[in-house]
Amino acid sequence: MEVEREQELIDRFTLATYLEAARLYEEGIATAQAIDIAMRAGAGLPQGPLAWADSIGLDVIYEKLTRLQHELGDRFAPPKSLTERIGRGQLGVKTHAGYFNY
Amino acid sequence: MYVKKVAVIGAGTMGADIAYTLALTNIPVVLRDVDDSALKRAQEHIQGLFAQRVAKGRLTAPDADQRFTRIVFSGDPAALQDVSVAIEAVPEKMALKQKVFQELDRLLPPLAILATNTSALSVTEMARVTSRPERVAGMHFFYPAHMMKLVEIIAGSDTEPDVLKTLSRLSEEIRKIPVVVKECPGFVVNRVLTASMAEVMRFKAEYGYSAQEIDDVIVRHQIAPLGPFTLADALGLDIAWDVAQTLQAAYGDRFDPGPELPQLVAEGHLGVKTGQGFYTHNRS
Repeated sequence: MEVEREQELIDRFTLATYLEAARLYEEGIATAQAIDIAMRAGAGLPQGPLAWADSIGLDVIYEKLTRLQHELGDRFAPPKSLTERIGRGQLGVKTHAGYFNY
Repeated sequence: MYVKKVAVIGAGTMGADIAYTLALTNIPVVLRDVDDSALKRAQEHIQGLFAQRVAKGRLTAPDADQRFTRIVFSGDPAALQDVSVAIEAVPEKMALKQKVFQELDRLLPPLAILATNTSALSVTEMARVTSRPERVAGMHFFYPAHMMKLVEIIAGSDTEPDVLKTLSRLSEEIRKIPVVVKECPGFVVNRVLTASMAEVMRFKAEYGYSAQEIDDVIVRHQIAPLGPFTLADALGLDIAWDVAQTLQAAYGDRFDPGPELPQLVAEGHLGVKTGQGFYTHNRS
């Protein structure tokens, strides 16, 4: 697989995972912590999807999402919980706050 | 609430694995089924699981025997009278589960908790055929239940907080990791997994890569322990397709897996269990 396609695959997989986790969080189905624990204990993910977004940087996630939204459609639209945090300057681990506090 | 004894209703593989997990931590269990031959198969299955544990040196033979005797295999309603929690693990049909819950509601003490191991059906709909909807919740184990650590504790619309607390504590007592989740189609794990699986299946359809090439990239980058196609084949493509359809109906086209999954299912290629799915499997 060409490097560029490989990156697209990884982005689509990880961002689809993150987006569904963010929707569950926004709908109040479970806490951010419960969602991440469930995905680690129930699906064997090395990192919970929300902690993953925090570690990548929410501003970086936002850029990736807007690019994919443009190329593939609104299923990749940045979620409210993301844009709100960015608006508050909470970009994840590097600013000590995102979906979790650090 | 203190859990004295647990009933598991339905002696299929899931029910048997749950009963084993409870007995392993010394909790008294009634494994109930209306079918005597199912009870007999469950008994053999559970004895096999204890024997494996003994063979691995993780349990002594006398200990295994003693814990095995914690399980009463019974179709007799009288065995249920002092049960604190019942976990139903009968096939995924609403009418059947409602019938089981109505019977349990009649037979169990008034404060006993009725839990369902459903992965897809509405807890609230099951609860509302009983006289105690506030004592009903979901307790979603993952397959195989004696190995998978997660239990999703599902709150229906009427479930009391005390019930969620008791089921969470019971899960920890049997060495599981509970997370409390409000009822919604797919709950947490299946909803997230199916969303990413559908996205990768669309990627495959768009570019024509093989399942192997895609799974290799995902495993090599360590973003998941198994590639989505390996996982789907192991789970059963019929089940993956069922879940995808349910979630697509509930949430929209982001759960549409594209044409290949339904095509494989229509051809009877269901993954590991039929020897052919996204991969060819050697059955030995």
